[in-house]
Amino acid sequence: MSAGGQHSDPGATYMRALRRDHAGLSRVLREIDTQAERLTKAPDDAGPLLAEAMRYLLRYHHAFHHPREDRLFARIRERDPELDATLADLSDEHEVGEAEAERLACDLEAATVKQLRGRSGRRLAERVNEYVRHTRAHMRHEEAVFYARAESALDAEDWRYIIGSDHGPQDPLADLAEMGNSYPRLASSLGLPVTHLGLLDPVEPLSEEMEEQMLALTDLYGGLLHDALDLGRGNLDRLLAVRGPGALVSAVGEITRANLEFAGRCLLSPPRWAINTGAALIVASLKPYLEPRQPQD
Amino acid sequence: MVSWQTRTANLLGRLTIRQSLRRDFSVAEMRERIRTMERFFPDLPADIRIDREPGLSHCDAEWLIPTTGPTERVILHFPGGAFLTRFVRAERLLMARLCRSANARGRLVFYRLAPEHPYPAGLDDCMEAYRQLLDLNVAPDNIIVSGMSAGGCLALALLLAVRDEGLPLPAGAVLMSPAADLTEHSEAGSRLANAPHDAVLSLERGDDIRRLYLGDQLDRVNHPYVSPVLGDYAGLPPLFFQVGSKEILLDDSQRCAERARSAGVRAEVEVWDRVPHGWQTLSFAPESGRAIDRLADFIREVCP
Repeated sequence: MSAGGQHSDPGATYMRALRRDHAGLSRVLREIDTQAERLTKAPDDAGPLLAEAMRYLLRYHHAFHHPREDRLFARIRERDPELDATLADLSDEHEVGEAEAERLACDLEAATVKQLRGRSGRRLAERVNEYVRHTRAHMRHEEAVFYARAESALDAEDWRYIIGSDHGPQDPLADLAEMGNSYPRLASSLGLPVTHLGLLDPVEPLSEEMEEQMLALTDLYGGLLHDALDLGRGNLDRLLAVRGPGALVSAVGEITRANLEFAGRCLLSPPRWAINTGAALIVASLKPYLEPRQPQD
Repeated sequence: MVSWQTRTANLLGRLTIRQSLRRDFSVAEMRERIRTMERFFPDLPADIRIDREPGLSHCDAEWLIPTTGPTERVILHFPGGAFLTRFVRAERLLMARLCRSANARGRLVFYRLAPEHPYPAGLDDCMEAYRQLLDLNVAPDNIIVSGMSAGGCLALALLLAVRDEGLPLPAGAVLMSPAADLTEHSEAGSRLANAPHDAVLSLERGDDIRRLYLGDQLDRVNHPYVSPVLGDYAGLPPLFFQVGSKEILLDDSQRCAERARSAGVRAEVEVWDRVPHGWQTLSFAPESGRAIDRLADFIREVCP
């Protein structure tokens, strides 16, 4: 980070480095979001990965990135009092976020696989999701309020002071191979080209064949429903066009013919399997009423 | 677990849009039906302002500007609609939510539609919009190209065209279920396997869409600007795909991403379980909010 001082515009370089940190953080947040969903279903894999991700955030973002921003906030508050309250809020959010990340890392490391599969796992996943939501909102707020104004609010001397007092490391995420030495699970997961969201759920309670039949039935009767709507619209148009008794008789005749055609199509167009499935459903639902009643004593 | 809101959307999509696509209808009828459906989409949130200046030569375009604070990032978005129509309100709302989440300005391009304006009119409009951003001194590494469905096809085609013309490339692209293969050979893989499951799209209209989009240039269907799945992705910026596991367009995303990776381009695919085509626009569904947050994460990552 201190290398920024060698650039012709040290403020811009410093701010670019902070933005790159946000880029890395966004990538990790997306991975945390993926793993939080898997926590109760694949705890032996997702649990350690999430704990590793929290440790990474604590060891880089909370330990170095946020103190950098806090130093900037302090300087900007001196120069631009209008931002005082907002920047104080952002600094507070850093503390709250760090404390929660620490608690989450400890709880994830301490939880057993059995605990993660149950209610504790669900609660932990909710807390992880809340941490992700909070961190995203915090980043958005920083970018909209503080990043946009930092460069114009500070002068060359401010930047010399800020850069001179910064001896922290670069984000290790810049080199995924290097990252793999300290955070192997996180690094390998970040390198995956395909992510599945929600696919850990058991497939529908219906069998594949039943599901396809259900969908086909929905298509079939959905189509007939559309036809019925078109028919109704056509009937109405015919009636509205009636001018005199002769036209009324003719319209009623046309409407009757169209309705009978549609009724015929309803009876004839469904394939045998649809009729069988539909009939079976009707018989099953009517059965209690059709069975002979037992005589009462 | 797929939310009840998304399950409901799947059923409604199957009973409305999918039915409309399967029936014999005119383009005018389809546009009218979509205008009717659009009434159900909410208005823009109050913290997003629309600005229609400057315009483009042949089509409308809008700026969507968050009022929360200044930002350099610009998302250049091309809406979907099978090249024939579009969901204006739905795409505007999608962009508003994405802009808010990614802290970016949105540039929504209502490119010319077929059959009145067949290929390459739509792509020309997209190119003009990109050139205009450069002329407005938007740094290319602050631009994210985005597209939904047919708009995803145009977004990919735009990237290939920008590279081929030697223009500076954007920082990255987000592709939401792009329709990247218009060839007749596309009717295999997920197009067939997912045909009964897709809650919105139907295979039946493939020939019509191809014919209407290309007009008398059907022989260009294998051109990468028409079917970007056949393109050479070397030199392109990072790509991020989102697609549903039961969409007929699933393979389009996966094939494009594989092709990009084989050319050394970073390309990620997110496969979402049983969501309908265009679920990102369904602001009432939790999967939509989550998808938008993840798109914003990617945007912030490649466009810091």
